[in-house]
Amino acid sequence: MSPRSPALPAMPPRAVSLRSLLRHETLLALILLAALALLALANDRFLTTANLLNQGRLMTEVGLIAIAMTFVVITGGIDLSVGSILGLCAVLVGVFWKNLELPLPVAMTLSLGVGTLAGLVNGLIITRFRVPPLIATLATLALYRGLAEGISQAKSVRGYPAWFFELGQGSIVGIPTQLWLLLAAALVGIVVLRSTTFGRATYAIGNNEQGAAFSGLPVARTKLLIYAASGFMAGLAALVFVSRVTTTRSDMGTGIELDVITAVVLGGTSIFGGRGFVTGTLLGLCLIQVLKNGLALSGVRGDGTVVIIGAVLIVAVLISNVLKRWNGE
Amino acid sequence: MSLEVRTGPPAGAGNGVARLAAGAAPAQVPPMAEDAPVVALRGIEKSFGPIHVLRGVDFDLRPGEVHALMGENGAGKSTMIRLMSGAHRPDHGTVEIDGAPTRLSGPAAAQAAGIAVVHQELLLFPAMTVAENIFLGHAPRRRSGLLDWPRMRERARAILDRLDCPDLDVDEPVSRLSVANRQRVEIARALSRDARVLIMDEPTAALAEADVRRLLDVVRSLRAEGVGIVYVSHRMDEIFEISDRITVLRDGRTIATRPTGAVTEAGLVSMMVGRDIDRLFPREAGPVGETVLEVRGLGAGKVRDVSFRVRAGEILGIAGLVGSGRTELAQTIFGVTPATSGEILIGGAAVTVGSVRAAIGHRIAYVPEDRAQHGLVRPQTIRENISMAILDRLAPRVMVERGRETRLAEEAIARFAIRARGPGQVVAQLSGGNQQKVVLAKWLATDPRILILDEPTRGVDVGAKTEIYRLMNQLTAEGLAVIMISSELPEVLGMSDRVLVMNGGRVAGILDRAEATPEAVGAAMMTGHAA
Amino acid sequence: MTTSALAPRRLLPRRLPGASQELVLLAAILLIVAVVGWINPRFVSPNNLTTIFSGNAYVAVAAIGMALVIICGHIDVSVGALIGVLATISGILVTKGFPVWMAWLVPVLVGGAWNAGLGAVIAYLKVPSIIATLAVLSILRGGLITATGGAWISGLPPDYQLAQFRLLGLPSPVWFMVIMTAVAAFLLRNTGFGRAIYAVGGNREAAEAEGISCNRTIVGVFAIHGMIAGVAAVLFATQLQVIQSTVPNGLELLVITAAVVGGVSILGGIGTVTGAALAAILFSAIGSSLIFLNVSAYWLRAVQGVLILATVLADMARRGRAG
Repeated sequence: MSPRSPALPAMPPRAVSLRSLLRHETLLALILLAALALLALANDRFLTTANLLNQGRLMTEVGLIAIAMTFVVITGGIDLSVGSILGLCAVLVGVFWKNLELPLPVAMTLSLGVGTLAGLVNGLIITRFRVPPLIATLATLALYRGLAEGISQAKSVRGYPAWFFELGQGSIVGIPTQLWLLLAAALVGIVVLRSTTFGRATYAIGNNEQGAAFSGLPVARTKLLIYAASGFMAGLAALVFVSRVTTTRSDMGTGIELDVITAVVLGGTSIFGGRGFVTGTLLGLCLIQVLKNGLALSGVRGDGTVVIIGAVLIVAVLISNVLKRWNGE
Repeated sequence: MSLEVRTGPPAGAGNGVARLAAGAAPAQVPPMAEDAPVVALRGIEKSFGPIHVLRGVDFDLRPGEVHALMGENGAGKSTMIRLMSGAHRPDHGTVEIDGAPTRLSGPAAAQAAGIAVVHQELLLFPAMTVAENIFLGHAPRRRSGLLDWPRMRERARAILDRLDCPDLDVDEPVSRLSVANRQRVEIARALSRDARVLIMDEPTAALAEADVRRLLDVVRSLRAEGVGIVYVSHRMDEIFEISDRITVLRDGRTIATRPTGAVTEAGLVSMMVGRDIDRLFPREAGPVGETVLEVRGLGAGKVRDVSFRVRAGEILGIAGLVGSGRTELAQTIFGVTPATSGEILIGGAAVTVGSVRAAIGHRIAYVPEDRAQHGLVRPQTIRENISMAILDRLAPRVMVERGRETRLAEEAIARFAIRARGPGQVVAQLSGGNQQKVVLAKWLATDPRILILDEPTRGVDVGAKTEIYRLMNQLTAEGLAVIMISSELPEVLGMSDRVLVMNGGRVAGILDRAEATPEAVGAAMMTGHAA
Repeated sequence: MTTSALAPRRLLPRRLPGASQELVLLAAILLIVAVVGWINPRFVSPNNLTTIFSGNAYVAVAAIGMALVIICGHIDVSVGALIGVLATISGILVTKGFPVWMAWLVPVLVGGAWNAGLGAVIAYLKVPSIIATLAVLSILRGGLITATGGAWISGLPPDYQLAQFRLLGLPSPVWFMVIMTAVAAFLLRNTGFGRAIYAVGGNREAAEAEGISCNRTIVGVFAIHGMIAGVAAVLFATQLQVIQSTVPNGLELLVITAAVVGGVSILGGIGTVTGAALAAILFSAIGSSLIFLNVSAYWLRAVQGVLILATVLADMARRGRAG
């Protein structure tokens, strides 16, 4: 090396440990613990197994979608249409089963397929026609919700067989069924993102799409699969949702994209892409649910919690901006 | 080597002063100061983080002169331009305007001082018309404060006529203009602000020959009007034709400022590189083997009917002007923009290279020109970058084997002497030379037979440059076929066993090392025929 | 590139790219009116046409502000919620006995101030506009329902009903729509600030190099957008005898869509307010014609979705050719 080339700045070890402490997930976990402790002290109905498990039940739909959304956001994209896909899939379960008189398992599979297809269409619009993901999914948000409304004609479908409600209301080994589903999805998400070539491609695309393409990574295919997975997860969430509330309506999932994106961004995934973890998303998800529950227990009504989520989202982005500057990026 | 020629008394000054005295000296400048520099940099230093870009720059520009600024890539020219245009502020030293130390707080302050830049990347607004682009930010107003469109169009017309561009329509959206016309719009924009100083950053890099002539005429007429022009270019012939003085920059320092008549081309080159070319380019040609890659009548987009062959152990240099299709050719062979006609033969067998993956499968590697955009994923670690092109091989059972990946990165750091804390360091924190070594390591990890290097030493310091050249020697000795694209003629001539010259997307000629003189290659680049 | 080849375009010397979109929209509106009127003559009765233009004029008005935001390279998905909140504020003021002019003016000022703050968060704190406005959407929507309990505001005095006033036989929303579009188009074209909006959206870096303060432009645009949303809110609040103090569902999408379909490029830097307003009218024409063609109103959103998608794809194709 030339003696003139600049020396790398030596990093004092203390700064390193401070940085790891300030890592987003660590911080988030601490906040979550603090919130849990605070709420437990404030309200003795909060820290009970029954309540916590019930909260887990309630957050599953958002959680399932948020796992896929983490991948979407890491590639630098966004999927605003997930709520509409959820609504469309929910309506279709009812239509396939009641109107077309298909067996319920077939109806469920078909509507999962439609969800995947809807996500795939998003992916195609984004990769093939190079429409920015925000606009593409804003457009399909209207389209898919419109299809849900048009197909259902605002009629709800009820009267599903009892076994179907196991998914959204039953338990396995004392833990709500859908929480097992969330757990499985989370594990798959964590492993795929951390350790597979697919996960590597996801990060590389988010950090530098052209650089990824010049390295021979399958950019378009990866994005396509991720948007399709997002649609699939929205469909899965629809099944859980319908099973939990025992009815299908076309307005199901309206605005759920906000909860999902809040969980993802709160979890430390950069909205500009390239950085983020599924574990962070899960922590963000739990924190939101704990906040909602805590507020509800202290008498704030459901709509008030929406305000808090909005505020938390902005504050999360601001903090992550500050942290980024702190870490000198 | 004298470090600098200070502004001398009138008797010793060049022809620029005579022109000024005859012509358009601003009225407010007192007569005794008429040869005083309009802009001067004194003892400028500037660092970006750990990288010391300017280490002592002295420079001055007189009214009515063309002052050429030369230096290799990475010498600090762009930083110097940004200092003069108010985009950066120096860490040490002063910027003087009309002899008074001035702090340029931003681009607006520089514009107010009469300094304008014609950017290499042409900062225009494609959706807006020519007239509006020229007057954006300082459009003529009516008394009501509203924009005066008729007057704006009229004045734009007048400025374009002054630039001898009667064919340019002031109502045309800029998105429909050719590169040469966009550049004229940029110059017109500078003139619309009554610029006294015009900084032109590689203005001819993307121009065809006829447009270059027109541009030089414009530069001459502006000089005659008393505008001081900083002219940055790599093209020797232009520099000698148009400039009054030349300043050479190397490694962030001004090496010398000389009147153009007092230097020779060879003298300039040795000032720029700081040593003899033979010592800088230690090409050790070894035994040459079988033909590894052959291309027959290849065509894709700009590339037309290109044929050549490369043998094992050989370096084929590709020379040509910017825009002659060199990078497009490389990217066609590498499968980024697959060929639409012709054949690619590897080891004698015709193959289809329809994607980057296919190219990697055929053991072709490409170190791209644009390192930041195409070569690396800079926010990620050295380990992740080096394994990126061979992830499949590192993940035989779905999971990426982290241990093997880390070992690969550690070996690369040792082999290429990459200065880094370890495999986990983020690539963006490395210097240009070390980043380029990471790109090389990434592609050599794919075990290629054919290595295409596109501007392999751009933005790399001299020490790392020599290391890259040595690596090229070593690789050819191991039997690789290397194709090297370079805009630096000394590099092409110094490192290539044969030189392929491109012009307008076609092969202008293929010259052996013995035939490849600067004159022969230069002539082929310009005219499209080998002499 | 020769002058002679472009000579015919001298007829429209000040033509900007994207202006052709306005002619297309105008043609589409006329076509729909003609075709649906031919099928069902009641559609073209003066009464119905006035309803089409006036009933959704507030969308067209809001689309003007949205067009500015998108031209300068941003987006605001909270505008529907803002209109809901401002309409409620207006209704509360008038029912609490404040003078009518205050009930008209306060929403405009509050909208401007609120969105100036939002713009500052986006510009200076570098929060991406999609995130910031998504969060604000949730804050406003939740806050509104929490504060009002979703109750309707009734007992509005007749002199408050601005949207029901008529001038020269036309309802006032039509006048607002036409005049505000014309004024905005004029100012956008003929002021330094107007051109700065295009510059910031078209090429931020170059705008900065030209001495334009991008941050201040963004804050200014959001403030104006907020004030225009205030006008839209007053028109919305005064067109019926009651104010539903909930957020009009999907209004933000309708407004954004109007801007995009009106030729405002989603990538910033290109577009006109006239196109946005025309697109809003087109939507209400389509919505109204579905009713007259006996199509279920539940398909309206799907039709809109297809329309947005088609326009966005066309926009990308146009960009691809241009650049």
